[in-house]
Amino acid sequence: MHPAIRTRGLTRQFPGGFGISGLDLNVPQGSIYGFLGPNGAGKSTTIRLLLDLLRPDHGAIELFGRPLDRSHREALALVGALVESPSLYAHLSGRQNLEITRCLLDVPRARIDPVLRRVGLLESADRRVREYSLGMRQRLAIALALLGQPRLLILDEPSNGLDPAGILDMRTLLRQLADEGITVFVSSHLLSEIEQIASHVGVLHAGRLCFEGRLTELRGRVQARLLVRCDDARRATELLLAAGEIVARGDADTLVISLAHRSEAEINRLLVGHGVAVHHLARELASLETLFFDLTADPSLRGTA
Amino acid sequence: MTPLARAITAECLKLRGTLALWMCLIAPATVVGLYVLQVSFSKINPKTVADPAEPWSFFTQSILALWCFLMLPLFVTLQSALLAGLEHGDNQWKHLLALPLPRRVHYLAKALLVAGMILAGFVVLLLLIPVGGGLLMLLKPAFGLRGIPPWAELVTTAAKCLAASGLIAALQTWIAIRWRSFTVAVAVGMSATVIGFLVGQSERFGHWYPWSMPVQVLAGEGQHASFVVVAGLLGGLAVTALGLADFLRREVG
Repeated sequence: MHPAIRTRGLTRQFPGGFGISGLDLNVPQGSIYGFLGPNGAGKSTTIRLLLDLLRPDHGAIELFGRPLDRSHREALALVGALVESPSLYAHLSGRQNLEITRCLLDVPRARIDPVLRRVGLLESADRRVREYSLGMRQRLAIALALLGQPRLLILDEPSNGLDPAGILDMRTLLRQLADEGITVFVSSHLLSEIEQIASHVGVLHAGRLCFEGRLTELRGRVQARLLVRCDDARRATELLLAAGEIVARGDADTLVISLAHRSEAEINRLLVGHGVAVHHLARELASLETLFFDLTADPSLRGTA
Repeated sequence: MTPLARAITAECLKLRGTLALWMCLIAPATVVGLYVLQVSFSKINPKTVADPAEPWSFFTQSILALWCFLMLPLFVTLQSALLAGLEHGDNQWKHLLALPLPRRVHYLAKALLVAGMILAGFVVLLLLIPVGGGLLMLLKPAFGLRGIPPWAELVTTAAKCLAASGLIAALQTWIAIRWRSFTVAVAVGMSATVIGFLVGQSERFGHWYPWSMPVQVLAGEGQHASFVVVAGLLGGLAVTALGLADFLRREVG
């Protein structure tokens, strides 16, 4: 079975060194693929390339095994997308907005009500979009993306601007879509959000893919971390670095130590033995946020993509 | 339906409730209304005219001249900017161009819709001319209007003016789509119209300047009419082709 998205050596550079370089994405069919990266990592550039809004400098894109480039755009018929903010005609109603895309896609008019119902906008369908809240606009944009019955949904930061209830609704909707066999490719900077819905993740940093695989693989890859608060963080850092530990500074008196070499008890003994008073010492379970931080900050943890 | 026909239908749907559609009525009505008002308040000595078509010819030529010289270039500027602005507003291009349609249909649909609205403007103008004439018959009998307008002459002249406006339409469509800013499109169109006010009166250069080509159909003895019709049509097609090539090359950031 072909991957929903497969890119090989996908490269697009912009002046100033921004862009992506040599991206090899493999998005399995039926997965919820969380595409993570800090601002400026190249997530939106990648999404625009996957939708033929930008042209690559090098590399190739396949959607469900079909090539995608400026002269072969048929594969886009399998895709529904929301790129950043919703693109809507505010002077028209929600239903009229859907009618425009329906007309362009040449799908039956009978598709409109089911997608409106699916995103919970059936009751508000005949109101003008300018009267919609941001959450309603976001849901209408999802409805537009679903209109053509896509096999792949590409969503760029779909939770942007949503309130907690809206985020919850969005999460539920994406899970339902995935249950129906639709592949969901979702970029987000809300790492905790991705952690709750994604089956697979790709982590992008400075235009390169640091990690790609199942979320469980990513969790297994990174060691637990130790948070230490002490009276002399500078000296403690020097001691630990000299002992071969990987140390990062949190706030002024906090150290974040990767538990790769010594146990927490040994680290405590080392510090106390050198006269550093330890106030707080706690093992931290790796959330996706910390994994992400590690991947984008520590080169030694990369290299699986 | 072909992708182009679907794109045109979609463009028509987008126009619902917009100023662009109303402008097809308002712009020609303003021209006819202004001219009727001007004549109504003018002092005219009654004279006997043997040929009843002569006052009609004068009346229609005057209205067409006002339309082509001033209102038409501004109308084209505004309509193309409004049409393109529908996509620039929320960057709808990123939605449209991610759909599985050939990219060219979006540009061609816009260009054809601008052309369609110019045609609609001309049709409304032609329909309002007898209405304005009827009003003058009541308000200003001294003007000498009688009977019905010379439709054949009127339609032929209007068709030539319409054809001669092809180049402006293509240029303004390209500018409005190429630059996101509404101000750029409007500033270019308004400036070009003002320049055309001067250049259009030049016997040597008037027929070379796109924004004064339509009025050249009416200038003098119509010696440049054939040239501006051909230049408007061919120039319009050429600029549309170039604008389309530019559009296909462009990316959506």
